[in-house]
Amino acid sequence: MSTFDSLGISGSGLLVHRKWLDAVSDNIANVNNVTSTDQDAFRERLIVAQAVDYGSGEGGVRVARAEYGSAEGRLVFEPDHPLADANGYVRYPDIDLGEQMTQLIMAQRGYQANLAVVERAATAYQAALQLGK
Amino acid sequence: MTSPIGGISFPTAVTGLAGVTGAPDAVAQAPAAGDNGFASVLASSLDQLQATQSTSDGLAVQAATGDLRDVHDYMIAANEAKLATEMLVTVKNKAVEAFNEVMRMPV
Repeated sequence: MSTFDSLGISGSGLLVHRKWLDAVSDNIANVNNVTSTDQDAFRERLIVAQAVDYGSGEGGVRVARAEYGSAEGRLVFEPDHPLADANGYVRYPDIDLGEQMTQLIMAQRGYQANLAVVERAATAYQAALQLGK
Repeated sequence: MTSPIGGISFPTAVTGLAGVTGAPDAVAQAPAAGDNGFASVLASSLDQLQATQSTSDGLAVQAATGDLRDVHDYMIAANEAKLATEMLVTVKNKAVEAFNEVMRMPV
């Protein structure tokens, strides 16, 4: 990892965006989970990205940790639901589908941007090697 | 679904480098009298190239067996192996060219 550094750096960006995509798909997959009011709702997954060893000369990004959204969820009045409590309420996860779609697009575009960097860097290195011919 | 660079591997070329060191040595020794500068550079970059290629090969096997978690990992490794090979071949060609140039010199 010395001559072709930018490939590795873009690779770390790809990894982070892939994990972000995973988190968003997990959120969307569980968006309609219903739980009873005495249980926790599905907690939204959030990815925390962090620069790798900033300032040491080694570039790139990594996933520092995953954060979780509120377990409170939102209470919905559905008295016919089998999981409804005495007052007729069930718990839904507090996930905004619109916001998840926005994050999906951002993750996708970020992934594509990193791929574009890989492609351009490889082309640039190849052009440099043409110098010797 | 095989690696495009799968055919290029150096199973014995690196271990048998003692024979290779002779030729560039003659080129490097004469003008600089350094401790076989170019030969050692070539040897170490061959080692690096082999490491890059084996990383790429390992990922290719993972892709074939379905153990590959990240598609881009393999693509980047393959790209890097290709670039490293091209670079080494370019450097080698340059060295051979220089050697031939010296050999053509009228004495």
